[in-house]
Amino acid sequence: MALHGLACWAGRFTPTLSVLPPATLLLEISGCLRLFGGAAQIVEQALAGCAEQSFTVAWAAGPTPLGVFWLASANAGVVYQKLPDLQVALTALPCQVAGWPDETLARLGAFGLKNLGDLRKLPAAGLRRRLGNAPMDDLARAWGELPHPQRAFIFPEVFLQKIELPARVEHAEALAFAAQRLFSALLGWLQARQLLVRACTLELTHDDGSHTDLPLRFAEPTADELRFSRLLREHLGRLQLSAPVAALSLHADEVLGKPGESAPLFDQAVAGEGALLCLERLRARLGQDAVQVLAQRPDYRPECATHSQAIDEKMTAFSPSTVTIKGARPLWLLPAPQALAEVAGRPSWHGRLSLLSSAERLESGWWDEGENQATGDVRRDYFVARNPLGQWVWIFRDAQAWYLHGLFA
Amino acid sequence: MSAVTLPVVLAEVLARGDVWRGDTLASLPETALASGHAELDAELPGGGWPRGNLTEILVDRNGLGEMHLLLPALANLSLEGGWLALVAPPWLPYAPAWALAGVSLERVVVVRAGKDAAWCCEQLLASGGFAAVLAWPATGIDARALKRLQVAVEGRPTLACVWRSQAMAALPSPAPLRIALAAGERDLQVRILKRRGRPEARPLHLTLPRPGRLPRALAGPSLSIVATRSAAPAAVA
Repeated sequence: MALHGLACWAGRFTPTLSVLPPATLLLEISGCLRLFGGAAQIVEQALAGCAEQSFTVAWAAGPTPLGVFWLASANAGVVYQKLPDLQVALTALPCQVAGWPDETLARLGAFGLKNLGDLRKLPAAGLRRRLGNAPMDDLARAWGELPHPQRAFIFPEVFLQKIELPARVEHAEALAFAAQRLFSALLGWLQARQLLVRACTLELTHDDGSHTDLPLRFAEPTADELRFSRLLREHLGRLQLSAPVAALSLHADEVLGKPGESAPLFDQAVAGEGALLCLERLRARLGQDAVQVLAQRPDYRPECATHSQAIDEKMTAFSPSTVTIKGARPLWLLPAPQALAEVAGRPSWHGRLSLLSSAERLESGWWDEGENQATGDVRRDYFVARNPLGQWVWIFRDAQAWYLHGLFA
Repeated sequence: MSAVTLPVVLAEVLARGDVWRGDTLASLPETALASGHAELDAELPGGGWPRGNLTEILVDRNGLGEMHLLLPALANLSLEGGWLALVAPPWLPYAPAWALAGVSLERVVVVRAGKDAAWCCEQLLASGGFAAVLAWPATGIDARALKRLQVAVEGRPTLACVWRSQAMAALPSPAPLRIALAAGERDLQVRILKRRGRPEARPLHLTLPRPGRLPRALAGPSLSIVATRSAAPAAVA
C-alpha cells in the first residue's frame, strides 16, 4: 500500500513507471530529463521527497532497468549516464544481487564465480547448458543486449489512499505530517493524469472504529502542494478530535482535466497570493457561508433583491436585472425592517424624520405568501427621509406602522 | 570661491527632488486613486485616495453619505475588474443599489468575519489580489492591529479603508490618512485629521448626490404641510 502511494507520488516526475514488489519503484526518466534539467536534478528531488516522507531509499540510475535494479539493490547511489559505465559497475556486483534461485547460486559458487563480471567472462553457450536460460537472459538484459519491457504502473481512475498511523494521534495538528504524505501522493497522481482537484475528503478513522470526514474545497481547481498544506492546516487547526486517530485516508471527490496553458514569455511578478487563494483560506476558517459574492435577483422586494452566492471559479456572468428601478435605493439594508416610533403622527428615528420624496409603492410577492421564511406579499410605500442629525434613510409604511429599512450611506 | 557658489538660487534648491517643503503635500502619483470629488482630491496627498496605505474613516452616524465619498473610486476600480471586499459590514449590502452605482457585483465579496475581522483584513490586504478592502471592525480594532494592517497593505495596489468611531480620533493611529466625517447643514463635513504633509485645519464641505429633494428648510413650516397629509405623505415643497 505504501509502495502504491509512493508510485502515485512519483507521478510528479514521470508518467511511465513500474512497481516491482515488494519494495522497488522503477521510473522511466529519459523522457523528462530536459524538463527537470538532467538526471541528477530528478534524483535529487526524488530523494528529498522520499526523505520528507521518511522513507529510506537505496537507488541507482542508468540505461537498463535490470542493471539499475541490481545496482540499487547493492545501494550504489550513482547516476550512470552511459551504458559502458553501467556495465563496468555491474561487473563488480556479487552474483547474489540478481535474486536467482538458491540452487543456481550454489552452482555458481561451486564454479568459483563470485561476481557478475566473472560470469560474463565465461562462454554464454556453456553456461546456458549448465544453468538454464533465465540467468543468462537476465545478464543480457542487464547489459543492455536484450530488450527488457516493463509493465507500466497504471495510475488508478479514482484516487483513494489510506495510511495507518504508527501511533495513535490525539491532536489534530499532529495529523498534518501524515496527511502531507497523502497529499504528496495526490499531487503526483494529479500530475501524472493531468488533472486538477477541486474537492477532496480526508477521512480520519478513530481507534474506536468511528470516522470523521474532513471535506476540503478549493476556490479553484488546483494541483499545488503549498495550497493543499495551507488549507489543511487551517482545517486541522479548527478540528476537535473526538477520539485518537488510528488511520487516515484521502479521497479526491471532484477532479477535472487540466486546461492547456502556455507559460508566459515575460515574468509577470504578482505580489501576494491573489484573490481566490485568499478567499479560499478565509472560507476554510470562517465557514463556507461567511464569504460570498454579491448578485442581484430580479425582485422588487428589497429583501429579496440581493442574492449572495458562494465563490466559484466560474462565476455566473452578470445578468442585467429585468427589474427597472426608478426610485432611489440605499446601499445598505437593515437585516430586518425596524419598527419606528411615531411622535405626533410622524415617524421618528433619532429625531423627527422629514420625508424628502413622494411615496414609491412596492407591491409584490404574492407567490411566496405563507411559505416558510419567505418575505411574502408586501404592500409598502417607501420614502426617502432625513433626520435632524443628517442621516438619510429609507423608510416605508405599510398597513400597520412605519419601518426603517435602509441607509443612504 | 564663495563668489562662484553664491548664485545658487533658492528656487533651484527647492526644485530638487530630495528637498521636501513643509507646506506641500507628499505626492504619490502612481498610488493615488482619484476620489471623484475635486475638492477632496486637492487636499489628499497625491491627489486622491491612497493605495498601499491604510485610510481610517472616523464616523459616528451612518447614512451621512460616507459611502458616496468612496463610491466613484470603487466604481472605477470595479470597471478595471478589481476585486472589492467588504469585511464585516454592519448592514446588508443592497445589490441593485451597488450595481446602479457602477460597481460590478460579481467582484464584490462580503466577508462576515465576526471576531476575526482584523485577521481577515490582514489576509485580504496581504494577498494583494484586491483592489479595495473596506472593513467595519465591530468590536474596535487597536493600534497594534492597525499597525499590522498597515504593514500588510504597504506596497500593494489596494485601497484599504477601516471604519471606526469618532471617539478614536483622539487616540494615536498608525494609519497615514485619517478622516473624520460629520453631517453638515446640507452637505458632508470632511475633516482630515492626519495626512502626509502639512495638517489641514479647515474642514471641507462636500456636496454629494443625495436621494430625494432637499427641503428648502429642514425644520421649516413645510414639514407641517406634510404632517397634515397623513394619508399619503408626498414630497416636501
